[in-house]
Amino acid sequence: MTDATEVAAAASSRDPSVGLAAVASLRGLLESLEELQVTNARSQGWSWQQIAEALRVSRQAVHKKYRRFGF
Amino acid sequence: MFERFTDKARRVVVHAQESARERGADSLRTEHLLVSLFAVPDNLAVTVLAAHNVTRADIEADVDRMRGGPAPSDADALATLGIDLDEVRRQVEEAFGPGALDRTRAAQSRDGRRTGWIRFDPSSKKALGLALREAIRLEHHYIGTEHLLLGLIHEGAGGAFHVLDGRGVHLGPSRILVEELVRGKRAG
Repeated sequence: MTDATEVAAAASSRDPSVGLAAVASLRGLLESLEELQVTNARSQGWSWQQIAEALRVSRQAVHKKYRRFGF
Repeated sequence: MFERFTDKARRVVVHAQESARERGADSLRTEHLLVSLFAVPDNLAVTVLAAHNVTRADIEADVDRMRGGPAPSDADALATLGIDLDEVRRQVEEAFGPGALDRTRAAQSRDGRRTGWIRFDPSSKKALGLALREAIRLEHHYIGTEHLLLGLIHEGAGGAFHVLDGRGVHLGPSRILVEELVRGKRAG
């Protein structure tokens, strides 16, 4: 069995502890990636409105979350 | 709360914090305290358990079975979804420089959660309170590992209680044993 099919087998597991841990780790990864991309966009002069549109969220939501970063 | 704890009892609590953290637990539960009784050499709680023929291996096996072992790493968890975290990290670092992914505030606050103080869940709080009550009942002016054990049994609902109950360790006989052991120590 290849690694890829082992992974697919694990992913189809109905064990909640496996599935929930994967969701938690994915959420963490998402937060880090979003932060990197928003930081990069701001440093390239993007407005909050432009960033919000690209992320498909409201301008208020993205501004509220990242304004404490000071950019 | 911890002023009256003996040095050994204090070390049990510190170890329970570490073990809860290593297991990725969001709160410190009674079973973390129970396992940690064995982390401090030569204490009366372990003597009481040994008198019941209960070993460290027994308790650790019971607790592992209860919680399904330690939490998986992020890399392992994401692999179950077909996501290769190393590859994601490589791509991100190509664009944003070495360590970019792990340097984000989001990543660091997650790590912070794993190094900070882990709160006691209601059962373990109750067990610590009952450890004090057990000490007072025996007219002991300190809280030792033996009182922690009695507190864990007396608590009556947490993971530690169920493991101990399953191994035949009950409150009445354990109290008597503790009383005898402490008296014996004082006598000699």
